[in-house]
Amino acid sequence: MLKLVRRGITANLGRLVLTLISVVLGVAFVSGSFVLADSLRSVFNQISEDAFAGVDAQVRAVEPEINSGETLLRFDQSVLEGIRQLPEVEYAEGGLFAFEQTYSIGDDGEVIRPQGPPVFTSSWGGPSPVSSFTLLEGTAPQGQQVALDSGQATTGGFEVGDLVTISLPIGEPEQFELSGIIDFGQGGTGGAYFLLYDLPTTQRIIDAAGVIDSIVVNGVDSVAERDLLASIDNMLPEDIEVVSGDTVIGEQQDSFGSFIDIFGNILLGFAVVVLFVSTFIIYNTFAILVGQRTRQLGLLRSIGASGTQIRIMVLLESVIIGLIASVVGLFGGLGVAWLLKKLFSSGGNSFPEGPLQILPRTIVVVVFVGLFVTVASALLPAIRASRVSPLEAVRDGGQKERSMRFRLIAGGVVLLPGLLLLALGMFGSIDSTASRLGAIGIGAALTFIGVSMLSALFAGPVAATLGTPVQLFKGVTGRLARDNASRNPQRTAATATALMIGLALITGVGVLTASLLATFDDLLEDALTADLFVYEENQGLSFSAVVVDQLRALPETDLVAGSADVEVLLNDEVTNVVAFDTDTGTDVVNYGIVEGSANITEGGIAVLDTAAGDRGLALGDTVSVQFEDGFVTDLEIQAIYDDNTVVERSWLINRRLSAQHVQLDQVDFVGVTFPEGTDVPAGRLAAETVTGNFPQLTVQDNSEFQEEVQGQVSQLQIVTTGLLVMCLIVAFFGIVNTMALSVLERTREIGLLRAVGMTRRQLRTAVRWEAVIVSVFGSLLGVGMGLLLGWAAVVAIPDSFISTTAVPWGQLVIYVVIGAVIGVIAAYFPARRAARLNVLDAISHA
Amino acid sequence: MSSSSDAPSTPTSSTATETLAARADHAVKIYGSGDTEVHALRGVSVDFKAGEFTAIMGPSGSGKSTLMHCMAGLDRLSGGEAYIGGVALSTLNDKQLTLIRREKVGFIFQSFNLVPTLNIRENVTLPMDLGGNKIDDAWVDEVITTVGLADRVKHRPNELSGGQQQRVAVARALATRPDIVFGDEPTGNLDSKTSAEILDFMRTAVKELGQTIVMVTHDPVTASYSDRVLFLADGQIVQEMIDPTPDSVYDTIRNLGD
Repeated sequence: MLKLVRRGITANLGRLVLTLISVVLGVAFVSGSFVLADSLRSVFNQISEDAFAGVDAQVRAVEPEINSGETLLRFDQSVLEGIRQLPEVEYAEGGLFAFEQTYSIGDDGEVIRPQGPPVFTSSWGGPSPVSSFTLLEGTAPQGQQVALDSGQATTGGFEVGDLVTISLPIGEPEQFELSGIIDFGQGGTGGAYFLLYDLPTTQRIIDAAGVIDSIVVNGVDSVAERDLLASIDNMLPEDIEVVSGDTVIGEQQDSFGSFIDIFGNILLGFAVVVLFVSTFIIYNTFAILVGQRTRQLGLLRSIGASGTQIRIMVLLESVIIGLIASVVGLFGGLGVAWLLKKLFSSGGNSFPEGPLQILPRTIVVVVFVGLFVTVASALLPAIRASRVSPLEAVRDGGQKERSMRFRLIAGGVVLLPGLLLLALGMFGSIDSTASRLGAIGIGAALTFIGVSMLSALFAGPVAATLGTPVQLFKGVTGRLARDNASRNPQRTAATATALMIGLALITGVGVLTASLLATFDDLLEDALTADLFVYEENQGLSFSAVVVDQLRALPETDLVAGSADVEVLLNDEVTNVVAFDTDTGTDVVNYGIVEGSANITEGGIAVLDTAAGDRGLALGDTVSVQFEDGFVTDLEIQAIYDDNTVVERSWLINRRLSAQHVQLDQVDFVGVTFPEGTDVPAGRLAAETVTGNFPQLTVQDNSEFQEEVQGQVSQLQIVTTGLLVMCLIVAFFGIVNTMALSVLERTREIGLLRAVGMTRRQLRTAVRWEAVIVSVFGSLLGVGMGLLLGWAAVVAIPDSFISTTAVPWGQLVIYVVIGAVIGVIAAYFPARRAARLNVLDAISHA
Repeated sequence: MSSSSDAPSTPTSSTATETLAARADHAVKIYGSGDTEVHALRGVSVDFKAGEFTAIMGPSGSGKSTLMHCMAGLDRLSGGEAYIGGVALSTLNDKQLTLIRREKVGFIFQSFNLVPTLNIRENVTLPMDLGGNKIDDAWVDEVITTVGLADRVKHRPNELSGGQQQRVAVARALATRPDIVFGDEPTGNLDSKTSAEILDFMRTAVKELGQTIVMVTHDPVTASYSDRVLFLADGQIVQEMIDPTPDSVYDTIRNLGD
């Protein structure tokens, strides 16, 4: 038995290697997703650990329910003195930390910042080991001095002793002397940039006089950590707490971890799609292998192999393939992780550096998934193999086709619920968008399987139709290509299906993107009435609201409106609301007032129509709002709006109200209009005199802003499509495999054709065109399915996000052409092999 | 030598003391249904004595291959019964039938007899490997030596000539010491010299090892190696000949054709 399996594998090595590749690709993607996520996690875990390694305890404000900032709440620095006087405390240092506040400026006047990772402004936390930072060179910053991380210093070309111009959150940039180069913890900053000052300077430049946000404490060696914590806790006011160093490390790691989990899960989602495509290829290969060996299986049956033995034999083959593929894929995952890093870095994002991690969990999951997918795909062919009659050994001719009626019923049984789920996702009365898209996802998978089963029913005639022009242009070789493509509809269908899924997903993404762009075009046209837009160019991060005042002060400007995102308790629920300069009404940003007045007062609030509907709120009702400083007020609903494209939240308040109750008066977006008849370029120059002091800001006019938004959407499409290209690669190997097998199967026939005078070139042409017909068939199916899926998704996604369905016809044509090209390339080796066959050997081939 | 009996429509039944290797009892086989119904066997009863070499002849469509397939447990009868070593095949499920084929029956086909990925010895021992039985190496060696391939045991089938491949098939059929060996035109693809070798060897197996062999053929010379020839036409046995010669077989065929 095992001998037969082993020999069977060795004998069919070539085709099994091709099958192997499709499993390997899918498995490698799974492995790569894990490896990348684990590596990121390990880098950030290490950073967190290094940073707090020397710290016994941290004192900080008790985290309130609402906190608009990304950082800890600040408290009066007088607490520090009390702690320093405790006998158990060896050393204590106050710290102040801020997210995206100060930036070094390069020679070109532009802000130096990494693409992706954040920039931190922080006080120098005292001497090592208490400080989170390690000096690589120079000294700690004092007074008008700054210390930078090595990455930043290298990028800016700064050396210790240089004067570095630094952009500050408030006021004009200032010059600081570079006192030293630092590293965060022991090993790298994970791509983030740091600017470090002494505590008083930090307090001054980020407008936080007399306050700190944390105190790091080292206990006297003889005191147990528990006693240290208890003695500190005793003297702290109620709203300030003390936690151990390990707790801080754990918290840091968790907060990084949740981001990495989301990232890893998205990658895993793509991996599952690739595996799904692989199953079709594996199934197809095993089905063909079983078909080809029908006679041999019949012989085995006739000399006493039981059906079970045959089934086990085929399954054992798949187990071996699955195992090999899993192991290869596991290591291939390292390559995939590397490629993914490149893919994400290609947009200019830097990716944290660190060694790639293969955890035992990855190995277990990958091997299990690889085995499961392979064996499950081989199950049907194995069952079919076990049903081969012993009489097949003496019968001439190929395998029996399964009845089309069975196929019709089985295909229908799968397709129908698939379509129903699609319809449910599109039109069902489900509120949650996630559930709708979930229904569409499962519906799509079922539809793929159903269509692939049913496609055998029409693959013959469709392939014949597609082949007709080939026949017209290429004469007898075209005729052969056409006949071969249409004579085994099941195989044509199975091969085409793999390509179909990849292209369907890519087309679906294309439709979704095109619809999103079309929706944006419509909405932005109406919504963006401002002449200029000011925002932080990389992340849309917050910046000082001073910019709004300064722009307003310019004689050239008419209306200036800033917008901020504020976290509040709204009717006791943590809610993000938009704080907007509502005095400008809808002249700067038109968010589609349906009812009421856009000029929301400090005692008022506006609500999105759907949110109002959900809560049964109407104009004149009141909601209770609590700000992060504890201030509670009742706000009256003064307006209802229907457009959350620009105003991305369901609630909108007057920014003058929130400014009084948040720690930092910041905005993340400013719109500017000029008086009627003003020359926009001239006005823009004036505005840039203000924003010039904030190098992180970008100024764009209306059309530039729209292009920017469209560019971001297109970038998303490129990354998604890039990931889905894996599906096409898997499908490509599927076509190579099928073509190679059908050439092998027709060896005798090819010999005959060559014997009666077909040239090698003609033979190659015929094989190539056969592949083109099959792959174009798959592409058309895929594009058609993609249109359906894209449309389904557009309908399922709320109108407030995507309302218009648009079809990127140009892209679709390109996809079909790509499908044909894939066919040509895939046919290269099989065609060459067919052409090289020795005529006599081929004819006598059994 | 020729002593053709006068065509009894049913075969002579043997004396009760002789052992039967296989037996068909009013075997009926119908393919298709309705308009396309084909009666391949119309009630065939025949005994195959242990240690006897029987040839089955008849024009194409006469049912000779069908009879053999059903006797060998490759196919099932529509009516009547087939016995191997006293076991009624219709009472067996697929698994039991498989066991019968593995242990009680040997096969020699016209072509595609061997698994191309296994070497000669592995092909010969395949039925025993499948059964997980202990292999009687001495016997296997003896059989392989008898067919004259002792020096090729490590070769793959495609490295052998057609005649050599067929000898491997014969060796495999004998290696399990089956109750009965069925041959489906075992020399149909071979030249006359190689055919003679194979048939001589089969005869030797019958005479010296007491093997029971039933083969289907349409060649009078091949048939003449057997102990008796059954002639089939239209799904029935029409004649039986003991100790055939090529000429007597040829004459009989010609007469049947009239």
